[in-house]
Amino acid sequence: MWTWFYKLASPPHVYSLAATFAPWFLGLAALLLGYGVVDGLAFAPPDYQQGDAFRIIYVHAPGAWMSTFIYTTMAVAGAIGLIWRIKVGHAVAAACAPIGASFTVLALATGSLWGKPMWGTYWAWDPRLTSELILLFLYVGVMSLRSAFEDAARGDRAAALLAIVGVVNVPIIHYSVVWWNSLHQGATVAKLGKPSMDAAMLWPLLSMFLGFMLFFGGVLCLRLQGEVLNRERQSNWVRQALKS
Amino acid sequence: MSVGGFWAMGGYARYVWPCFILAALVFAWNLWAARRYHAAARLRARRTLAMAASEKR
Repeated sequence: MWTWFYKLASPPHVYSLAATFAPWFLGLAALLLGYGVVDGLAFAPPDYQQGDAFRIIYVHAPGAWMSTFIYTTMAVAGAIGLIWRIKVGHAVAAACAPIGASFTVLALATGSLWGKPMWGTYWAWDPRLTSELILLFLYVGVMSLRSAFEDAARGDRAAALLAIVGVVNVPIIHYSVVWWNSLHQGATVAKLGKPSMDAAMLWPLLSMFLGFMLFFGGVLCLRLQGEVLNRERQSNWVRQALKS
Repeated sequence: MSVGGFWAMGGYARYVWPCFILAALVFAWNLWAARRYHAAARLRARRTLAMAASEKR
């Protein structure tokens, strides 16, 4: 029963899985993102308070969600690599970092552009904004630490440790709007009970969320293939894989 | 909604459109960088294998 799970620790199996899934993830992501952008920009009604500025939510909210989701994935993968010494875990963690950092930049920049017309400023040292900025520093720190060591295995271990320690920032980001007074609005979609959005606005948003997730899956598969090849390039299976 | 009204985004065009352009850039960069990284890793692996083969000879 657990065979499929154990196989995930095998680099050739993961390499072949990633090669199979990447085009599917990216193709489905393109469909969902296309629908989300068109419906969100052209057909969703304007917000009664924010007008058309609310449409920024279609890239800001999924970007912010991805920034924390990818960080958590990176920390879990790093922990798996660290605890069970599974090399694929470190490869996944290494592949996650630049993708997560790019989504964090997207969340910060789009949040800043949304903040100007709504709050009157591009930036405030608000708990949500500050904790998201710390997340970006954590991503940069993890990537820098990994490449700072000549011995790749030591770099992997150090980066995994930092990622695990830094995961404490993820609930802080999520609950910052509850724990402290914040300019940032509270949860809209991920509320227990009913989301406080009209269905005409919600459907394109959910499509964007899923599209962002699948895009991450596709790009992760591409990067993971590179990571696995880099780490295993002297193995026999790589010779076979490159010949075919 | 008219085409002009759509582009104007109710007066918020200079905030809304840059967000979507930035998102498109982030997506394009991720795709380009991931493909480039994979291609570079393949090339490096091929070189390593070629070097190992020439050393054997």
